Amino acid sequence: MITYDAIVIGSGITGGWAAKELTEKGLQTLMIERGRDVVHRKDYVTEHKPSWELPLRDARLSVGTKGAEDYPIQARTGQFRESNKHFFIKDGKNPYIEDKPFTWIQGDQVGGKSLIWGRQVYRWSDLDFAANLKDGHGVDWPIRYADIAPWYSYVERFIGVSGEKLGLAQLPDGEFQPPMEMNAGEKLVKAGIERAFPDRHVTIGRVAILTRPLNGRLPCHFCGPCERGCSTGSYFSSQSSTLPAARATGKLTLVPNSVVHSLIYDADKNRVTGVRVVDAVTKQPREYHARVVFLCASTLGTTRVLLNSQSPRFPNGLANSSGVLGHYLMDHHFLAGASGSIEGLLDHYYQGNRPNGIYIPRFRNLGDDASRRDYVRGFGYQGGASRQGWGRGGGERGFGVELKRKLHDPGTWSMGMTGFGECLPREDNYVELADKTDDFGIPLLKIHCTWGDNELGMRKDMAASAAEMLEAAGCKNVRTHDAYRGGGQLGAEPGFAIHEMGTARMGRDPKTSVLNAFNQAHDVPNLFVTDGACMASTSCVNPSITYMALTARACDHAVEELKRGNL
Amino acid sequence: MKDNDDLITRREALAQVALLLGGAISAPTLAGALDAATRRAWTAPPQNWAPRTLDARQLELVAVMAEHIVPQTDTPGARAAGVHRFVDTLLSDHYPTPERDRFLGGLADVDARARSRQGKTFVECAADQQLAVLTEMDEAAYPAAGSDASRAPETWFFRQMKELTLVGYYTSQIGATQELHPSPFGVYRGDIPYSSVGRAWS
Repeated sequence: MITYDAIVIGSGITGGWAAKELTEKGLQTLMIERGRDVVHRKDYVTEHKPSWELPLRDARLSVGTKGAEDYPIQARTGQFRESNKHFFIKDGKNPYIEDKPFTWIQGDQVGGKSLIWGRQVYRWSDLDFAANLKDGHGVDWPIRYADIAPWYSYVERFIGVSGEKLGLAQLPDGEFQPPMEMNAGEKLVKAGIERAFPDRHVTIGRVAILTRPLNGRLPCHFCGPCERGCSTGSYFSSQSSTLPAARATGKLTLVPNSVVHSLIYDADKNRVTGVRVVDAVTKQPREYHARVVFLCASTLGTTRVLLNSQSPRFPNGLANSSGVLGHYLMDHHFLAGASGSIEGLLDHYYQGNRPNGIYIPRFRNLGDDASRRDYVRGFGYQGGASRQGWGRGGGERGFGVELKRKLHDPGTWSMGMTGFGECLPREDNYVELADKTDDFGIPLLKIHCTWGDNELGMRKDMAASAAEMLEAAGCKNVRTHDAYRGGGQLGAEPGFAIHEMGTARMGRDPKTSVLNAFNQAHDVPNLFVTDGACMASTSCVNPSITYMALTARACDHAVEELKRGNL
Repeated sequence: MKDNDDLITRREALAQVALLLGGAISAPTLAGALDAATRRAWTAPPQNWAPRTLDARQLELVAVMAEHIVPQTDTPGARAAGVHRFVDTLLSDHYPTPERDRFLGGLADVDARARSRQGKTFVECAADQQLAVLTEMDEAAYPAAGSDASRAPETWFFRQMKELTLVGYYTSQIGATQELHPSPFGVYRGDIPYSSVGRAWS
């Protein structure tokens, strides 16, 4: 029996960070990944393939189409297409039960969703960390911005973030590489919005994509579709960044195709002693042992492992003396916003496929006179401007030589933006284990999650405020959109933003939370959870960099505690 | 597929997300990165290719209609770009069966229209007769702005055919590198004079 110093479950954004930090601090570390191996560069099989070499020309594979048969859930997201389907899980490998629609998008490979993530990275502020305490929804975060700020800097310097400093309290600046450039349409709309609304700001997205070389990784070459994999390592992924760092220590062991069944708990010592694994290929069980375990298996993956780790001491799931494990599931709500056309600028164009858009930081409920009475918390916008391409021909009358001549030139400019809104933590949004098991003998998750009045009220403002800003900036034909349908129909239900969070939240009180201020289980000191499951609220900004900073901070704490003999 | 406002709203929303997530919809790539073998493979007629859904008459019907939609000018048109082969691939490997059958029904309807007007199949008609049939379908499929005419369900086929032709053409090597140009890799420039490029990026 081999015993490691540490086991990290999962190889995505947080698993990669945990492995890097723990190995660099000297721990012999085993990383367990349920999916197949994906080798940097070699396995980016569609990277830089021209459209005509893809038989379906990179079709979006929507639900019900041929090519999406094995992916009835994954095909719900607009990001699932011919060129990247191999980086999504085949749903039969990890089915789940939806009480109401909840779209669970999953990777199933080394690197996890770090290969296909949106790469937008924004720091939280004290507006976010104090939100639960202030309005009483959820439990108070056990940390504040000052606790995590140095770890944001530490992470940013390693992953490489390009962006613009704004000096805003609600969106703290970071350690940025030079920002990407806005295009002419975005610059025009920015000027119009900031003239009409002096307290609102339009900036280029802050992204984990290099504009300067870093640690052997090259600046972005603007080919466009990052989610096929990037051989120059220009965007942050486990493959490009954390796994090479962990491997360089000589202390990393990586086992792919290993599905974690549950954690092994020793009640006498009150410690986790190891992990039960089912081989994804042979279905044979195995065990691994270690002194400390980091769960980084994705929000719902992690909570499922804990719920399935039952013992006389913890009959309802490991480290669940509070009873809140599985509860307070959240996601950002999005796909509500507006779009419009921009007149003129017909002698302006752009070159290169910029894998980034614009960002409008939160401007609602900052404690000033912009505060709303109809909902609490707020939202930010992501969007962009572009000139219409050849696809516009399909929406207009006309064909033949005239159409071909017309499509030789780009069309008019248009600008769109969609809000990403904060979701409140609610006890009745939760997951539980079902009676049915999957091919590995693990009970399926049953997910119960809906939007509440606060989210639905906020969405109205997300659409209306977007339209108001576009009109103020002089856009024409402004139209709002809101993909939420309600009534159990697919559209913009929870899960769709792929920012699922909560279910093993951090908190100050062991009676109402699972994890302490260092992502350490209140009940079991050598167990750490640092992925999205740990979140006690959602903010409105993209969450991944916060997971990374929390992970690095938790690893630092874990190693210190090991040294002190406390674990 | 129902053509209703709900779907349009959702499609627009998704298009906006695609835009903000990088605008990588048409995935253009650098022609210069192609090796010589790839270029030869493109110029040669496809070896051993046979349609899997369309029969020979249907394939020719698609090719003739597509060439009317994107004809040869100073650059090759839809037929040279193999749009008809792309349509057969999509029908075989991507379309759900009901939608595939609906498309095949649309093809039969084109021949029925040609027969009722000219007494022969669409392909057998003279070019100007073919154009008359397609113009009539185009006008029904895209009612003039401001008119109250709603789009009848049977106009779905022409819009579908037109969209497939445009996708098939502008994502082909001919369409993407001869008619248009791929945006080159390397740097991003957010504001350049259009006159310095002179055509849309593919």
